[in-house]
Amino acid sequence: MSPKPSLDSLLPALSEAYGPPGREEGIRAALRRALRGMGTVREDALGNLHLHLPGKGKRLLLTAHMDAPGLIVTRVDASGLARLTLLGPMPAADWIGAVVSLDGSARGVVGWDRPRDAKETREIEPEALYLETGLGAKQAPKKIEVGTVGALLDRAERLGDLWCGGNLDNRAGCAAVVAALSGVRGLRNDLHVVFAAQSDLGARGAGTSAFGLQPDVAVVLDVAFVGESRGTGDIALGKGPCLGLKEEGYLPHPRALDLAKRAAKAARVPHQWLIRESGGSDARAVRASRAGVPTALVAIPARKTGGPRVLVNANDLEQTVKLLRHIVTTPYTGEKGSR
Amino acid sequence: MVSNVGRTSAEWLRYITSLPGVPGQEEAVARELLKAFGSVADRVEQDRMGSVYAWIQGDGKPPRPRALLAAHMDKIGFLVRAVEPGGYLRVTEVGGFDSRTLPGKEVLVHSSPPMVAVFATRPPHLQKKGEADRPIQLEDLYLDTGRPEREVKRKAPVGTMVTLRQSPIELLGDRLAAPGMDDRAGVVVMLRALELLASKRPSWDVVAVATVEEEFGAVCLGARTAAENLSPDLGIAIDVSHGDMPGAREGDTVPLGSGPALSIGGNIHPVVLEGLKRSAKALSMPYRVEPCPTGSGTDAMDIQISSSGVPTAVIGIPCRYMHTGVETVEPRDVDRCAHLLAHYLSELSPEWRAVEVLK
Amino acid sequence: MSANGAPKFREDILQEISNAPGVSGGEEAIRSILAEYARENVDSLEVDPMGSLVARIDPAPARPRAGAKSGRGSRNGGRRGPHVMLCAHMDEVGLMVTAVEKEGRLRFRRVGGIDPRILPGQVFRIGAEGIRGVVGALPPHLTPRAERDKVTPADDLYLDIGARSREEAEERVPVGTYAVFDTTYEAWGTTRKGKAFDDRAGCAVLASLIQRRPPVPVTAVWSVQEEVGLRGAAAAARRVQPDLAIVLEGTASGESPGAPPDEQYPFMGKGPALTVHDRTLMVHARLLDRIEETAKRHKVPTQWKRPGVGGTDAGRIAISGAGVPSAVVSVVCRYIHAPAAFLDVRDAQRTVTLIWHTLETLRKEWP
Repeated sequence: MSPKPSLDSLLPALSEAYGPPGREEGIRAALRRALRGMGTVREDALGNLHLHLPGKGKRLLLTAHMDAPGLIVTRVDASGLARLTLLGPMPAADWIGAVVSLDGSARGVVGWDRPRDAKETREIEPEALYLETGLGAKQAPKKIEVGTVGALLDRAERLGDLWCGGNLDNRAGCAAVVAALSGVRGLRNDLHVVFAAQSDLGARGAGTSAFGLQPDVAVVLDVAFVGESRGTGDIALGKGPCLGLKEEGYLPHPRALDLAKRAAKAARVPHQWLIRESGGSDARAVRASRAGVPTALVAIPARKTGGPRVLVNANDLEQTVKLLRHIVTTPYTGEKGSR
Repeated sequence: MVSNVGRTSAEWLRYITSLPGVPGQEEAVARELLKAFGSVADRVEQDRMGSVYAWIQGDGKPPRPRALLAAHMDKIGFLVRAVEPGGYLRVTEVGGFDSRTLPGKEVLVHSSPPMVAVFATRPPHLQKKGEADRPIQLEDLYLDTGRPEREVKRKAPVGTMVTLRQSPIELLGDRLAAPGMDDRAGVVVMLRALELLASKRPSWDVVAVATVEEEFGAVCLGARTAAENLSPDLGIAIDVSHGDMPGAREGDTVPLGSGPALSIGGNIHPVVLEGLKRSAKALSMPYRVEPCPTGSGTDAMDIQISSSGVPTAVIGIPCRYMHTGVETVEPRDVDRCAHLLAHYLSELSPEWRAVEVLK
Repeated sequence: MSANGAPKFREDILQEISNAPGVSGGEEAIRSILAEYARENVDSLEVDPMGSLVARIDPAPARPRAGAKSGRGSRNGGRRGPHVMLCAHMDEVGLMVTAVEKEGRLRFRRVGGIDPRILPGQVFRIGAEGIRGVVGALPPHLTPRAERDKVTPADDLYLDIGARSREEAEERVPVGTYAVFDTTYEAWGTTRKGKAFDDRAGCAVLASLIQRRPPVPVTAVWSVQEEVGLRGAAAAARRVQPDLAIVLEGTASGESPGAPPDEQYPFMGKGPALTVHDRTLMVHARLLDRIEETAKRHKVPTQWKRPGVGGTDAGRIAISGAGVPSAVVSVVCRYIHAPAAFLDVRDAQRTVTLIWHTLETLRKEWP
């Protein structure tokens, strides 16, 4: 029996697991370990990981995506450098300097073709990135096949009030879900937890999961970055989890929003509002599945560093855990704020 | 309370366009539509995503096939995204406005009770040189309610709905301009068509759906979820088509007053289109064929690929100045669309199905 | 090229459907040709509400089992093996006539991705009758110098069918009529030239595969509207509800003189191209493993499709319902989405062979 999982142990363990979109075997294994003893875990056709905690009551889906930014080798050039295309929305520039694990084993570091003119300010395109594996011009083409998939190799670390790590979008969310579930007994909701695959390729795994489960209500947990809500009304680290009001393809369902708002109030969790004009989460796919699912979005505020690592606030994480725990343990009636 | 029965299309248009309801916040319009459809349909209900269903039971032998009609009840608008010092409101759009048409427009902030506000403009005297040459973006704009910051903060929290405040304008030739003709005019077409069908029963069951969230996001949420819910044997979307305007290309628009615009293209089942044309001819009604090479951009896009595939068609109401506060239609076209729809549905053979079994 | 125990590639079908018109939304000519070929071989055949052609074919009753459901595989594999959806899209890129002008000129819009720069001077076949139309271009003599360096937007171009008035043109070509490139199928050596190899190559491969009862239950889907958003396959997959899917495509060759050698792949003539990733799909890892193993075992040469480019019906099939493990296998073609494409007929046979033996592998080794 493993000790009760805490954020301090979960974050490093989950953040370093290999799991680019569509190749999530590493993070699936790490999550299986973290979930040991909590209930039956299964993997579905798209690679989503399901945990069912049966209870009398409405069917509640809690989902967080487990895939992390990835890259894929398109060719190995004459000098032995692997050339890349990116999986997921992390900008090419943020990959520079990243240490990468290839198919979970070999390693490399990402560099870019720096323009001769240092004043050149064009946006960095994925075509300008390369992966140096140290294998050299002769060995690299033989050892690194087209289609090899890579992911950030990084273990989250604590810096004062912050956590810093490469895969915290959305391993921070995964850790919060596991922490919120640990020790939970006697549920009065029929709780389905899904660690969704392929979110970064367009909310693919969460949509098919919701289709299969047909929940009465869903809560999607993801991260949101400072600066995504432009200008006034932006989010900040340390002010608690965000409740989503608008993002790409998502507007909250009144009943689901009500559920999240009431939980925040009851659990005394401070929250902020998230309105982002571009960028989205799995919420868009979950809400549009089958005959529709009332869906709320909860997001952990995060900050980009401009490189591969991102920052989240430890207290925001604790508050998120509190909020989630309240949501899963309070029976959902689906009555208030009916639409 | 005005009686619903006997309202003309123009009266319906004035009433229905006046109801608030942006994507995601359609409750107020839904409530009124439940009443309005309740007066003509056999049964009305609301689904879990908020769309309103109005049923006309067919007189064919059960199990009867089912036709889904879809017109979206959301209209484009805004949500409050921040309250600035001084009580000024910043908004985010839900559905795409042309921000060039907004400066100086009056809006309603849907607090309770609603507050009037204006999209503030800077007088020319205070503008920087060259500022007037650049089109105004939504980020440049803010709303002024003329009320103190504390009151605004209390009454209009982040997420509050904002809609254009513009009562319908009667133009010459019976034409009517109002925000939200897209697609409340389609809702009126469904209402009128159901009125007709209630007295002349089709063999099919007909369910008219006033859908939510057509104007937001890549998916027409209400149409898609309703179609999944109802698994219809036929889907017809009623929406507005671009009316003729100077500067628009021939083939991209249909003249106001020219009758229904019937879409043609991959989104349209050819047999349904032929049937609609036949009905128009039987009614001696003018119509236009509107080419939609890569899709119709309506609820029919999502209905067609929902479930295991649905034959779809689109009936368009000619409408000028789409996505502005002065969307203009001719009530006569609305009448014609309703008659065409009712005629087509009542002529549907109880046996027809789109799936063709070859072996 | 030997079929290596697999059905023979039917070039006659490829020729017939390459020459026939079938722009997205107007696939009826292709559908009726394929329906005729399929009718004899399959257990059921239907046209779905969007126009996709759906054929079910059961495996040979080699090892009948009491109580086995007919026509469908079982989720856990069982001895019938998984129910496999094989899918190829019938539609091609082309034009739709959107307005007939006073002078009898036809305005059009593109359907699917066509580079506007290839349009001036092209010949099109319009409608079921195949009326010829030419895309005119102002002669260089009459083009102002400043205009010569600019790309003429497709919206400024028109089709000239020789009509002298709106009435004359409208009578022959009503608004909404589709037009296709005027290209005729030809063969030299192992090279084949024709239009719409994307994806008539896949359609012909699929028609070839069902000439015999397959090793597992198969539903063959010839889908519609792939080029305008992968639409037909989305609905078809919901109807079919397969255990897994393989999409058969005609994909773009990377050959291009002057480019660095490592960028010039995949090649025409070097075997089927396997997809790892494109804009719409990460291929299911275990399914891809089965295909690769099969290729090695049966000595079918394969190559990689360039990751990150293009998108296919598999993108939609994979996320249909509760999810379907999906893969893509392609015949490499030069010059797709242009008037005349090339392919190597040996690649088409190799694709048939690879898929056939993959079905055998899947019968034993899935899930």
